[in-house]
Amino acid sequence: MAAAESDWNERRRRSFLLGLIPALAVLAAITVAPAIYLVLTSLTPLNLTLPETAWDFSEPQINYVELWEDPRFVHSVVVQVKLSAGTVALQLLAGLGFALLLDRATPIRRFARAGFLVPMVLPPIVVGILWRVMFTVDVSPMHRFMDWLGWPVRSILTDPTLALPAIVAVETWEWFPFTMLMVLASLQMIPQSPVEAARIDGASDWQVFRYITFPFIRQTLVVAGLFRLIDSIKAFPLIYVLTDGGPGDVTEVTNYYAYRQAFQFSLWGYGSAIATLLVAGIFLISWIIDRMTGRVHAEAG
Amino acid sequence: MQRLAEAAPAMASHASAEPGWFTRHRRLLGDAATLVLLALVLFPFIWLVQMSFRPNRDIFGYDLLFTPTLVHYRSLWTGAFSASFVNSTITSVASTALALLIGVPAAYALSRGNFRSSRRIALWILATRMAPPIAFTIPFFLAYRFLGLLDTHVGLILIYLTFNLALVIWMMQPFFDGVPRELEEAAWIDGCGVWQAFRVVTLPLASPGLAATAVICFILSWNDFFYALILTRTNASTAPVAIVNFIQYTGWEWGRIAAAGTLVMLPVVVFAMLVRNYLIRGLAAGGSKE
Repeated sequence: MAAAESDWNERRRRSFLLGLIPALAVLAAITVAPAIYLVLTSLTPLNLTLPETAWDFSEPQINYVELWEDPRFVHSVVVQVKLSAGTVALQLLAGLGFALLLDRATPIRRFARAGFLVPMVLPPIVVGILWRVMFTVDVSPMHRFMDWLGWPVRSILTDPTLALPAIVAVETWEWFPFTMLMVLASLQMIPQSPVEAARIDGASDWQVFRYITFPFIRQTLVVAGLFRLIDSIKAFPLIYVLTDGGPGDVTEVTNYYAYRQAFQFSLWGYGSAIATLLVAGIFLISWIIDRMTGRVHAEAG
Repeated sequence: MQRLAEAAPAMASHASAEPGWFTRHRRLLGDAATLVLLALVLFPFIWLVQMSFRPNRDIFGYDLLFTPTLVHYRSLWTGAFSASFVNSTITSVASTALALLIGVPAAYALSRGNFRSSRRIALWILATRMAPPIAFTIPFFLAYRFLGLLDTHVGLILIYLTFNLALVIWMMQPFFDGVPRELEEAAWIDGCGVWQAFRVVTLPLASPGLAATAVICFILSWNDFFYALILTRTNASTAPVAIVNFIQYTGWEWGRIAAAGTLVMLPVVVFAMLVRNYLIRGLAAGGSKE
């Protein structure tokens, strides 16, 4: 009897492995193999117009040394930091504000919960086009409205001081629903009894938010923020359609610079080195997320 | 003196029963604010849709009463754009199907198998979700150039697996965790094998999750721009890339661009509304893990 059971357990285990292995094999082929290839390429001066550069490992560190001294790369990191800091902060604020507004379940607000999701699910290229319409002076209803108010605005996307804030604004428009959804989910798990107790004791709205609601959703905000931080590092379609990294290089983020080096200048080794650094940075942030969600789990359990 | 004594309780009751206009109408004010904000947020989206129905001579007009025309849509239908729409559909559907086919059994195995390395596999999947697309495109482009997979459907379908497969495993696992094991055990006792019990008992119970996962995979593949921009040229180029291509060819023909944009976003918006309750689990894979 015991032997039959352990035999069955063994068979079951083998069946499960059989279900798991194809997925892991495919995942390895499409993620681990390219990652290794990427790192190896970053150690060569690969340039597709010069075939002999393909597996040339004579100076493996050369791309990384060059990066260190490349002002355009350093500049792209600065732009990236500005973009990410600006848009993540705004997304958290807007997402939190909208979530607090929509937390009360009236029919209108329930309907609006669905409506506010639209920006987030649109194809990013369409988001770029929507805002290209809004930012093109003779086309945009926004510009016309400002004219009518007697406060004409010059072209925003070609203005070196306004182009990056414009990208930050559009990125925020596109992604605040993400934070909103996460915070909304978290708000709805807040137990009502402490809130009611506080109200009976005469707590104001602000006090309820500050001492009950906010501590409860703080962790969600941090996790949502880190997620948005990682995704903001991947910003591409918006910049491609709205500014193409310009004017000059004021909106050229690191990801965009890597794309240019590899796909426009054909400097594959150099582009790979930038991409490798991006992966390293993103993994560092992911590791932090994992630690934090682990802590949420521990606290909840 | 007497009058004052009469007035005092009246004032007190006024203060407690009628806490001021603002507080009394809180719900109404909140609803009104919601509607105003919703209109503001969706304005660029609505503007593009209405632009796509305007005749060219009045394309930037803002009067609400205009005669809608389908001329922009018709010109897209006859142009090269319709082929890219077909390409988008083929690659998104095929990649979703493939990801489900490989990923669903894996998610089930991870849910039931008690593997010692489950946690490491979960981390690996999270890392895949986080990795920047540029890190995949460079090696994939170089490999595809060698393998002759540039500008093919197969090439795109494969690279979409990088996000879809991880997503399927991540999303489906909690759904399987939610199906009681007793049901499968009963099926085993009746002589079902592991995978037969899975197909007959567990999978039907997890089918809402399966549908939501499929739709989110489809949306992510359909929305992709970066991979398609780099790995396709003409034969397999998807709708988002086709829009950009004809902007580069013919300049900003606003009516056609608006119509193309509307067509590309239409299926996504409809699908997203269907699965909106699952969106966060799909998009934040890892942020809401059980």
